Amino acid sequence: MTRIIMGFVPATEGEERPVSESEATASAAHIAEITKSVKALKDDFEDHRYICSDQIATAVYLAYHLRKPILIEGPPGVGKTELAKTASEMFELPLIRLQCYEGLDEAKAIYEWKYGKQLLYTQVLKETLDEVLQGAKGFAESVSRLHEFGDIFFSEEFLEPRPLLKALKEENGCVLLIDEIDKADHEFESLLLEMLSDFQISIPEIGTVKAAAEPPIVFLTSNNTREISDALKRRCLHLYIPFPDVELEQRIIHARVPEIPPELRRQLVAFIQELREMDLKKVPAISETIDWARTLLLLHADSLDPQMVRDTLNVILKFQEDIENVDSEITTLTSKARK
Amino acid sequence: MDRQLANFIRALRNLEVRISTAETLDAFSAVELCGYEDKAFLKRSLSLVLPKTIDEKDTFDACFDQFFSFKDVAGERAESSSDSDDAESEDAEGGEGEGGGAGGEPGERKTQASAGKNKKKKSKSKNPNSLDGLEEEEEDLGAGAMSEASSPLGQLLMNNSKVELSVATSQAGEAVNLKEIQVFTQKGLYTRRIMEEMGLADLNREIRELRDRGAVPDRRLGQELTHRRDWLREQVRDYVEKQFLLHADVSGRRLREELLRKVKLSNVEQRSFRLIQEIVFKMAKKLVALHSRRKKVFKRGALNVPRTLRHNMSYDGAIFDLHWKSVKVDRPKVFAICDVSGSVANYARFMLMFLYSIEEVMPKVRSFAFSSDLAEVTDLFSRNNLEDAIAKTLRDYSGGSTDYGQALADFKKLCLDDIDNRTTIIILGDARNNFGDPRTDIMKELYDRAKRVIWLNPEPRSSWNVGDAEMKKYIAYCHQADECNSLMHLERIVGNLLRTVG
Repeated sequence: MTRIIMGFVPATEGEERPVSESEATASAAHIAEITKSVKALKDDFEDHRYICSDQIATAVYLAYHLRKPILIEGPPGVGKTELAKTASEMFELPLIRLQCYEGLDEAKAIYEWKYGKQLLYTQVLKETLDEVLQGAKGFAESVSRLHEFGDIFFSEEFLEPRPLLKALKEENGCVLLIDEIDKADHEFESLLLEMLSDFQISIPEIGTVKAAAEPPIVFLTSNNTREISDALKRRCLHLYIPFPDVELEQRIIHARVPEIPPELRRQLVAFIQELREMDLKKVPAISETIDWARTLLLLHADSLDPQMVRDTLNVILKFQEDIENVDSEITTLTSKARK
Repeated sequence: MDRQLANFIRALRNLEVRISTAETLDAFSAVELCGYEDKAFLKRSLSLVLPKTIDEKDTFDACFDQFFSFKDVAGERAESSSDSDDAESEDAEGGEGEGGGAGGEPGERKTQASAGKNKKKKSKSKNPNSLDGLEEEEEDLGAGAMSEASSPLGQLLMNNSKVELSVATSQAGEAVNLKEIQVFTQKGLYTRRIMEEMGLADLNREIRELRDRGAVPDRRLGQELTHRRDWLREQVRDYVEKQFLLHADVSGRRLREELLRKVKLSNVEQRSFRLIQEIVFKMAKKLVALHSRRKKVFKRGALNVPRTLRHNMSYDGAIFDLHWKSVKVDRPKVFAICDVSGSVANYARFMLMFLYSIEEVMPKVRSFAFSSDLAEVTDLFSRNNLEDAIAKTLRDYSGGSTDYGQALADFKKLCLDDIDNRTTIIILGDARNNFGDPRTDIMKELYDRAKRVIWLNPEPRSSWNVGDAEMKKYIAYCHQADECNSLMHLERIVGNLLRTVG
């Protein structure tokens, strides 16, 4: 019996990854220290090898002080998810991540009843039921006796918290990352509204669960595959992360791939920036630049030459069509970048 | 200052940035946190709170710069002094003394000011720019200290804080109801009113008094105040200009949009295309918002075991309330066949624009263009951006005389097999077939297979059957035939389409 029931237990949906295990102590003071100014935030991000613009630092600053979620939009690969991860490292708070996808619903995002356990308990209690009802006269009395047991089956005991509920229950606060919200259905957005505006979730059987003393710092990311509803946007700060400019990208590469020689770094960033100007199906993002820098480092390159660029083009361009388009221009692009 | 923020939000709303009351409140709390001192910081903060799309962010950036632009007093002074004529030498030499005042170093200024008090001296100073229009030469007073201004506006000017000045200006603007400015001829009037509201009269009086006084620092102050007053007038004029653009210009634009919605699309001039496109996108967005919340249609499929068990828990595990794994029914396909020959091309342009703008709620649009031969242009739209795709379609297919029979035959050959009972076919054309064979047999076939066949005719209903028009024959095989020649029609039809195809 048990085995069958266990068989129905669904795989855990939504990834949960605590980043720092137990150092959540004394974090409040630490966070207050970090968030006292935008400048401090920015420096701290840099210490964690996340080079951010003033805009991004301001967003985190406001999000913390106004207790508002941040909705991050931007092309793929500019570091939206990374921002949340770094923030969790920086604040030394656990990161709880909810990956969105089509069909995600409250059972996977907020809570689920441990129905296996419930079923098991019903079976077990069946035997004791007779004892409970012994001596009860008539239907009404039986029912009222049963009522005395209350709703034990729908108590916290039987509640399986999913990422959102878990985030609310974190004592010292946490960083909640709701990734790729645009992949979820419209209905799911509405589900988030209560959570995002009041940091609380209503569970019909139990009541309203409010956030612990420290509400979570919430990041939502979206790749803009569809418009996010106004209701959701209204509750969030809206941060758009564009592709970085030359100077910022160089610093990012420097932070992420420190071993790379400065001259090569300059050239490859210039090359990538040129590529972004071209009419491509998918322009290379920062993550591609970083990958490319690592690749070139591995190949012991000290400056860009057309042949090497041609050989490694598939690191930065992900469509054959784009590779073919760029191929003919490699020589010009390379010489431009080397200038 | 809060008033100014409220006004800024109003201006943003005028520029079609949607800002709710909740967001306004957020903006205020954000401002409370970051203050008004650091303009860049203020801008960054507000840009997180107010605009919520990328387009809106662009609008916001422009609007913010325009709204809160108040150039640095000192910088501006340096510029103006370098091209003013007679004040030249005085300014060049007096640069240091003024720099003390204008450079915003309060400590230095104070010491100079106190030093100035010791060496007061009577003399006269006139300014060519002063209001009373005296044409006397300005006296060279040399470098040195100035005394403190006494009138409120004078103090404000000498304080050298552009933020405070801009606050004062906008408060004055508020007081004289600058928002109500309607036509550009009112600009001068409002400039003057604002200056007066800010205390121009007092300032002028002070300048006059100072000029009559003997002490060099006093007269120096008088000169400086005069310059700064003129500079301020420029600023206020600028400010009025911008407010005019922010407030009055918008109402004109609204009017134009309203007109364009109703005008016949073939009469739209080339230069209005951009605006029309914007309107189309706006309408499309509205439709998307309206229809994206459509309820999912569930089909019975495999049993959803966990859910079933969970829901039947209350029945002691007896399973009688079944739950199914939900299957979302695919959105239906839409085939758009557009006549792109000369007379109808413009309509086709806007309909395609419309159809592809609502991609989000109508994902499967396949489009075909013809004048004589028909070809599928779906690929063009997936590869290029909307404008290019439309331009290319019109370029490639618009030649040749219209032949509906041929087009229908081509369509049948191309994709009759793809048409099923979830397909909606929209045909846009005037049905003027140049007396060729209308091939109604194919129309019948389409009519039988498809869920809906909709014919949109840009001509008024009265001329549907005049001349070489075959509308009468085709209409028998259409579920719906509508006149469609303005954006309003288009919006209504696409709206209906979305309602019926779900």
